Amino acid sequence: MASSLFWYVREFFRAEWIRKFLFARTAPLVTPPHFRGFPEPTGRTCQHALFCMMACPAPGAIEVVHAGDGWMPKIHKGHCIRCGLCVEACPNGVLKSGRILETMEREGTSLIFSFRIAIDLELCTGCGNCCTACPVNKEADAQMGAGGHSSNDEVIMRVQDGDIVVIHEDKCTGCKTCEASCPNGAIRIARILEGSQEPVPEGVQ
Amino acid sequence: MSLLQRIKNKVRARSIHVAYVDVGSCNGCDIEVLACLAPRYDIEQYGIYVHNNPREADVLLVIGAYTPGWEEKLAMVWEKIPSPKAAIAIGNCPISGCLFNRRETFIDPPVRKHIPIAAEVPGCPPRPTEILQAILSVRDSVFFNWEAEHP
Amino acid sequence: MKRVVDVNIPLGPIHPCFKEPARLKCEAKGERIIGVEVELGYMKKGIERIMKGRPWQEVMFLAERVCGICSVIHNLVFIEAMEQISGIAVPPRAARLRVIANELDRMQSHLLANFSYCYTIEHETLGMYLLDLREQVMDELERLTGARVTCAYIIPGGVRCDLRKEEAAALLASLERMEGDLRRYTGMFENGPMIALRSRGVGILTPDAAERAHAVGPTARASGIAVDCRMNHPTYRQLGFAPVTRPDRDNFARVMVRFDEVFQSIGLIRKCLTDLPNGVVRGRGVCTAGEVRYSGEAPRGELTYFIRSDEFGRIVEIQIQTPSIMNIEACCHEMIIGSDSIADVTATFISADPCIACTER
Repeated sequence: MASSLFWYVREFFRAEWIRKFLFARTAPLVTPPHFRGFPEPTGRTCQHALFCMMACPAPGAIEVVHAGDGWMPKIHKGHCIRCGLCVEACPNGVLKSGRILETMEREGTSLIFSFRIAIDLELCTGCGNCCTACPVNKEADAQMGAGGHSSNDEVIMRVQDGDIVVIHEDKCTGCKTCEASCPNGAIRIARILEGSQEPVPEGVQ
Repeated sequence: MSLLQRIKNKVRARSIHVAYVDVGSCNGCDIEVLACLAPRYDIEQYGIYVHNNPREADVLLVIGAYTPGWEEKLAMVWEKIPSPKAAIAIGNCPISGCLFNRRETFIDPPVRKHIPIAAEVPGCPPRPTEILQAILSVRDSVFFNWEAEHP
Repeated sequence: MKRVVDVNIPLGPIHPCFKEPARLKCEAKGERIIGVEVELGYMKKGIERIMKGRPWQEVMFLAERVCGICSVIHNLVFIEAMEQISGIAVPPRAARLRVIANELDRMQSHLLANFSYCYTIEHETLGMYLLDLREQVMDELERLTGARVTCAYIIPGGVRCDLRKEEAAALLASLERMEGDLRRYTGMFENGPMIALRSRGVGILTPDAAERAHAVGPTARASGIAVDCRMNHPTYRQLGFAPVTRPDRDNFARVMVRFDEVFQSIGLIRKCLTDLPNGVVRGRGVCTAGEVRYSGEAPRGELTYFIRSDEFGRIVEIQIQTPSIMNIEACCHEMIIGSDSIADVTATFISADPCIACTER
């Protein structure tokens, strides 16, 4: 016991301890600039690609809403987990959070979305709802009828001989409108996210 | 304002006892609450003491997304706290269910449905400074003149 | 044989020493504990059910939230399992940065566990010292990844951001300072006679009992079993990793193993920083179909993910085996039995560093 007492007495008589005890002051509680906070707008124009919403892992955390003439992402606090994937997925740099945007620009990193269409032919009835619902199809072929038939080769998918055929998978924007319109759950869109880096040469920036 | 009330206000502002209850979180918010104890943030300089005993607490920090194991039990804990009392929801889980609020989940958020919540701290997890500010805001909004407002 | 029980004492689910809800039902005869049952079920969220049918960018965040204290290792093991399935190569710089993030996370987790132990045995001074040190580790983690807890740093094919030269220098300087402080605190713990009274010879876990209960991590290493998944990890092999063990099997040994591992982590980070390869930190690669069982060493022990994915990299089936369940088993059925007092029950339970959130998911 005596040695323990001696130990603590020695501990509390160290010059550093006494200095700390007498001049203790709580450090100013500042949030460091590299902390990933809630995403904030940078002022660049939103192009309505909706990649932020697709990358977001939290349900109901980000929405792209009308703001004046254009669009603007809106963050819902209480849902947002501050992961910063929306900042990385945005192709236009609309959002910023911490120093993610600077790092991306300095290091040339990005997250790239690609979309794949998977149709379960066992379940598909060939009703063509997905083809007519698809907003890209509507732009490519405004005359597309209710059956999903089209003579236009620019559409993503169309119904041929009672079966659905995917022609241009690369044009898919991943909106999943077709998934919502399918009565059987036969069509599923996979949103594939891939990290990439193209190093920026020194001194270019 | 009576003298008694003035004394009560003064005392209550410097002595807030905190209990925390974890109703199914990922532990991230738990350790941020614990980090508040660290000398860096030094929660006790504001007169806030973490006791983790509901019977002597003024503020209940609710962490987590309300799992089925806590049905009835959370309300029991809440009833054990003497008035004046306040509950603070820490993190996204008690507010919205965070990432766990999906199909096939067991949880039942928000906690607001089950006990009254006085303040919410969004973030997953919130920084210790944000937690600290929330507790201090409750001190002013709930405990100040409590008797006058609850005759 | 009929057991004579004087009193049944429930501890928890809300208890000043437990960070998380769990109930220990102690059967005591006089002051001596003759049996303990642990009652879980306060934290079950069904994470594995939620994960099914989701791509990596969503499952990664759910995996992190299996356990908030050791979030980096869950992230790492899940992503490395997906990389094994899909054959994605990791750039050497990214592999080293992953080790740095993982070891920083291990440091803060071990310091928190030791803080909890000191707090439980009512040695608040040392506990607060350790918590202050942990804040410095959290600062370093924040500078590297951008967040304190649940960093989401590791993605398939690499990491999210690079470590700049000036940040690496700051990290090295900070490690130097932390090592000096930690050496002092470890001395306080090692040489404190009061701490020895509370810790030495309490909560004995013999190697046989540890193997019977499948104890892993620091709990097993404190019983002299050299088990560590980092020995099989390619990056750690390059760094010349060897596990820390201690022969003396009690609460004291478990806390000291954690202190030793913090020193070891500091050494590993230093080794990573001195020969950090140049190059990119993100390779390309798409997750595909496959099935894998992959293990990594979490701060609490072996963590295993079993994953089956479909052709677009979505999770079809996932099973997570976390270390705490084995350690809680070892703790309740081997370590606590025969404790001399109820006060030792909480101390022994905390010394095994149980994490209820990852046990129940």
